[in-house]
Amino acid sequence: MKTLSLTLVSLLASIIGISNEAYQKAMTESIEKLFQATTIPEYVEIANQFERISNIEKAEWLPMYYASYSYIMISFQEPDNAKKDRFLDQAQKYLDQAMAIDANESELHMLQGFLYPSRITIDPMNRGMELMPEMNKSLDKALELNPDNPRVYFLRATMTFHMPEAYGGGAANALPLYQAADEKFRIFKPKTELSPNWGKEANEAELKKIQEVMQK
Amino acid sequence: MRTIFIILVFFLIQASIFAQVQVSGKVTDSRNAPLPGTNVFLKDSYDGATADSLGHFSFKTGLKGIRQLSATFIGYKPFLLNLDLDSARTMVLNIVLDESDAQISEVVINAGAFEASDKKKAVILKMFDVATTPSAQGDIFGALCTLPGVQKVGEDGRVFVRGGESYETQSFLDGMLVSTPYLSKMPDMPTRGRFSPLLFSGTLFSTGAYSAEFGQALSSIVDMKTNSLETEDKSSISIMTVGAMASTTKCWKNASLSLSGDFLTSGLSNVINKQQVDWTKSPAGVDGTLMYRQKTGKTGMFKVFGTLNHSSSGMIYPNTQTGIKQDILLNSSNVYLNNTYNSMLGEKWMIKSGLAWNYDHQKFDLDKDRIGTNQKMFQVKLQFIHNINEQTELKFGADWVNFSYEQNIRMGGNYRLPFTNNELSGFAELEYKLSKKFATRLGARIENSSLLSETTLVPRLSAAYKTGNHSQFSLAGGYFYQNPENDYLKFAPQLKPEKASHAVMTWQYQTEQKTFRVEGYLKKYADLVKFSQPLATNPLDYSNTGSGHAEGIDLFWRDKESLNLSDYWISYSWINARRNYKDYPVSAIPTYVSEHNLSVVYKRFFEPLRTYASVTYSFASSRPFHDPNFSGFMNAKTQPYNDISLSLTYIMEMFGKQSVMHLMVNNIAGFDNVYGYNFSKTPNAAGKYESTPIKSPFVRQIILLVSIML
Repeated sequence: MKTLSLTLVSLLASIIGISNEAYQKAMTESIEKLFQATTIPEYVEIANQFERISNIEKAEWLPMYYASYSYIMISFQEPDNAKKDRFLDQAQKYLDQAMAIDANESELHMLQGFLYPSRITIDPMNRGMELMPEMNKSLDKALELNPDNPRVYFLRATMTFHMPEAYGGGAANALPLYQAADEKFRIFKPKTELSPNWGKEANEAELKKIQEVMQK
Repeated sequence: MRTIFIILVFFLIQASIFAQVQVSGKVTDSRNAPLPGTNVFLKDSYDGATADSLGHFSFKTGLKGIRQLSATFIGYKPFLLNLDLDSARTMVLNIVLDESDAQISEVVINAGAFEASDKKKAVILKMFDVATTPSAQGDIFGALCTLPGVQKVGEDGRVFVRGGESYETQSFLDGMLVSTPYLSKMPDMPTRGRFSPLLFSGTLFSTGAYSAEFGQALSSIVDMKTNSLETEDKSSISIMTVGAMASTTKCWKNASLSLSGDFLTSGLSNVINKQQVDWTKSPAGVDGTLMYRQKTGKTGMFKVFGTLNHSSSGMIYPNTQTGIKQDILLNSSNVYLNNTYNSMLGEKWMIKSGLAWNYDHQKFDLDKDRIGTNQKMFQVKLQFIHNINEQTELKFGADWVNFSYEQNIRMGGNYRLPFTNNELSGFAELEYKLSKKFATRLGARIENSSLLSETTLVPRLSAAYKTGNHSQFSLAGGYFYQNPENDYLKFAPQLKPEKASHAVMTWQYQTEQKTFRVEGYLKKYADLVKFSQPLATNPLDYSNTGSGHAEGIDLFWRDKESLNLSDYWISYSWINARRNYKDYPVSAIPTYVSEHNLSVVYKRFFEPLRTYASVTYSFASSRPFHDPNFSGFMNAKTQPYNDISLSLTYIMEMFGKQSVMHLMVNNIAGFDNVYGYNFSKTPNAAGKYESTPIKSPFVRQIILLVSIML
């Protein structure tokens, strides 16, 4: 009897192990695909995968984080403004669900800050005034929760780079911010294998580009 | 036994992995168009796939038994289907998704109404558009003049809608009455609105057949919605060629306070811009505004808005009627306070309440004579909105307006002309949505005036039907009453309210980037005030025997996407209007009506120059005037009106602060517009009635503004 119960326990454990392993596996694969995606259909496919994962793993914020991230990436590519807004509505929906699980996750506030610029590009004159302060608020909150979140520095640098010099933007103003972000990326260690760990390469590429521009 | 059991369990697990079911098929919308990107999956599993560019999908699953299949796509209703995975090894499904309700925008009753808002995605004008329309010069009412249905009346500056006089447009602030929305006005000089467009997040402008919530307006209403709770502390200073402004906002968790003030003087501007007026005192004024917003509970919002203004100006007015040059000095003070509270009462009820107080004092010194006018208005308004069910909404309310007027005239003796009116009104309105496509609104309004001892009851009806995804057809009509102007009531309080009836038919096509709208209307006036001669003092010289009519077509086209980085709108109005009122001997086209009105507004951002440029072109066909040198009435016409105005907004950095430089040039081409003529009352020695043209105070006007965000 003892042996039987032991066997059952180990069997159960292995089943749980399987499901946990399946989650790890599905997430690892999806995250890998996510950062290889370049076209809207590719991003949609991955977003769908994360949506399926999030349907099961209701206590995890990461699947929703990546689903939201995918839709933000889609929105950056979508030329039709009405559709763009709908993709962002979807991204916001996932982000809100993720926030409901963990409102004190720096990465989620960072992602919120990453969502606003896409909204602004739809109607910069009207939305800029309203959403720029919102974006700054989200990024401030992300830094408050984790002063070393390198993606916040990266996003701030990118925003500065693309702003007119009149607003304190441009390459010269962005350079020290990219450098600061680079330092943060160097020391950054993701909490788990699945935790957000993107932006380093993009930051390096931008930094290099700007340094070249500045030398000329 | 045990071993066998374990082997059996493992065998079963293994079997379930190998015995896979293939699920495939196609996803389309109701018109059989494929929906690539649809997420098709078995609920609570990782098993699923994304539909490809042709809508095809295919995936394998090792799951058993009855499972729920889900298909989701943005903008469509989620699709659910129970699948028995034991029934077959391969399954082919044809999935049809229906558009979600959010995608099918609901029909909105909008006949006669133009909405400017920052909140809604699809509106005709945003407040930013209002603030940057060059011909408007930062005036809300000026911006409304670029919309169809509004007449260009250059010597007045107020809003004249569809053959109606300016007093027929009533102004509201957060639903509360503003009895003196314009600055005090010199004779033949244009005026402008009191309030800066920056204070508002939206404006509802209705050119006819509006809701029963609004009364005491024959032609039109303008309801300005003040900004909601501010979320960011900010301050700014602006220096202009016409004065200086400063503002600051402080925010707390659930409250915000904004203060702003300005000092305006056209002294310098009158030197820069050659004047056609002989000023003895350049127009100058001080304004102060306070806005306090407080969130109360989950849904409550308490707002206080207060503004005060003092202004003065002086000029030599060549009074052609009398042939005497008059020295006019105008001093005026105005205070407006408004306080509203809105909140949900449970799930289905909403309360809206407000108090408003307006005080206006005007002092005209004409040579040795003086006319002083005081107006006091106090309003209480209470309104409830009840969502009976998804299709039906009931709105009802009441308001009370206490208005007192007093004019003191010192002109070879002292005269006093006072009157007080208590206007008590009630309204109810039922909006019923028969379907997503068809909505109707039935309303009624009752008004009682203590001064006129009259009670009026009027119906208001409207209906709208969606003719397509982005288009709809609307019909609206109703009766409208308004008390005669103060200038008549002060002499003749026995007058009755004036009456108008509207019928409006609209077709509109609207996407987020494009709007096309055509509106036809019929308007009839009855009981208009008639008198034997202007400024008659005997009450019996005034009667409600006037009448009139107006009919026309208004067109509006706005396009934000076809031209690169550009946004433009075109308004055109055709009107046929006649009136027999005031001292008109016969029915005639009133002097403020031009048959054709056209406005073209073009805006573009030039990114390399960091400059936002806007141009307005306005055209109005000839206006009639009466020339006593010839026989007949309203026997002559002015030249058409033309104007090109330009504004440039340059974004820059000053002292390390974000700054804006704004340049406005009015009438850049220097058109010599004549709005009409004043004639002398008596003929000269040659038997001719002499005349002077009525013109703008300046040919061109250039205003420069530099604003720094602190």
